[in-house]
Amino acid sequence: MDKNEAIDVAALRDQFLGKVFDEYMFTLDAEKLVQYAKSCGETASKFTDPNDPDFQAPPTIASSFNPRQDYPDNFPSFEGLGMDAGKSVELERPMRAGEEITATTALHDIYTKSGRSGRMVFFVNRMTMKNPKGEILGSSDTSVVIREKPQDS
Amino acid sequence: MILDMHAHSIKSDDGRAKVENYCQWIKAKDIAIDGFVLTEHRQYDDESDYSDLAQANGITIFKGSEVETEYGHVLVFGVTPALQEEFDFSNINLKLEHVIEASNKHDAVAVPCHPGRPRVGMAAHLEEFGVPKGVEIVEIYNGGSRENEDEIAREMADQLNCSGIGGSDAHIVSQIGKCGTKFDAPVNTIGELVEALRSNNFEAIKI
Amino acid sequence: MTIEKLSEIEFGETLPSFTPDTSLANVSQFVLAAGWDSPRFTDHEAAKAQGLPAALVPGIMSQGFLSAMIHRWAPDAEIKKIDTVFRAPCLVDETYQINGVVTDIDTDNGSVEIDLTVTNSADETRVFGTANVIIHE
Repeated sequence: MDKNEAIDVAALRDQFLGKVFDEYMFTLDAEKLVQYAKSCGETASKFTDPNDPDFQAPPTIASSFNPRQDYPDNFPSFEGLGMDAGKSVELERPMRAGEEITATTALHDIYTKSGRSGRMVFFVNRMTMKNPKGEILGSSDTSVVIREKPQDS
Repeated sequence: MILDMHAHSIKSDDGRAKVENYCQWIKAKDIAIDGFVLTEHRQYDDESDYSDLAQANGITIFKGSEVETEYGHVLVFGVTPALQEEFDFSNINLKLEHVIEASNKHDAVAVPCHPGRPRVGMAAHLEEFGVPKGVEIVEIYNGGSRENEDEIAREMADQLNCSGIGGSDAHIVSQIGKCGTKFDAPVNTIGELVEALRSNNFEAIKI
Repeated sequence: MTIEKLSEIEFGETLPSFTPDTSLANVSQFVLAAGWDSPRFTDHEAAKAQGLPAALVPGIMSQGFLSAMIHRWAPDAEIKKIDTVFRAPCLVDETYQINGVVTDIDTDNGSVEIDLTVTNSADETRVFGTANVIIHE
């Protein structure tokens, strides 16, 4: 992409918002869940002991799930270091080790603003997780910010 | 009368506070402010009407905006439909002098906010763009300031002979009322707020 | 003191804060568990080469710290939503505080809303957000 090309946010929104661009299945590993929980400072046995009858993933684990591709096919590439700008997780049911989870991702929002690090473009992906019954386990919004290169104006 | 002149609700993209919870917090924690101004990012919230909430809680709630210019972010008090026709509030490349001119034309007041903050504060752009015309008031106390940002703001205000206001820049409930602006007389309407700002009858305070 | 019931909670109550382990060792273990292994989180020099001030604590780990604070305060709490804005990077090997305060109690739904912040040693907010949490009676 020409680094002087302006990001046309409106066009990107029209073309890509709301369209699922990734779907895959995975299961959660008990040992990794325990390490995840302990590293975050969780102390309850339902997060740290796989033998606990209610053993489950720490609720924020959904924030760690990444789609296999960051953006839809044919999405323009941008220069700049992408940084995590925010994470939001909504949970309907606990996620458990060994359960097959289907995750689908769509671009949820794109917008620009200016901040301490200059002009920025925000991309928000929404991933929805379901169990084998098709019940929604939860969803996770990931906001990635890219600092847009200064434009000649 | 003390007003927190800079707060965001869930209407702002990065705001997480419900206005009713701001009111509840102010009362429960006995925060020493009489009200606040909702200055949502890159928009004027035409939809929300907080008059019932304000009356029920005995708290003054005004609406304003925080827009983005080449000199950084700017609070606008006294937004009217006519002012909204003058420029696109969602544009992050507004010209500060145009925002000020348009505000003055439509009985509003534009106040550069957090001027000591890198990139989004006015002080960072003076060397590149020069001193902008028409700036009479800047925000010298901001509840979200880091390190010496408020000090930079105050020094700049002194150098440019600008008056100063204060605001919390709250994005979550518990941040409301950290800084404010003390007015000499009661301010009951947005018109009176604009008048008080124009009359220079106020001072910025930390709470 | 931990919370067991909604009725024990007062509006404006401050959750017990804690100082999380942001050491390189702990962050490295975390990113392996999360599948986020990257030099920007595990290697100070590599992070600086990317233009960062130092290796970063991943945002998801900060969110995990905030979740852990809630569970330490109310062990049976069910977090239904947690929403965080990453205002400034948290750096590996630096000291932070994980903070929360109750800003809404909904007795109809049996839930509370909590303001969340991660602050540095200068009391500057690096991460802020909210959580909506079910607390049973």
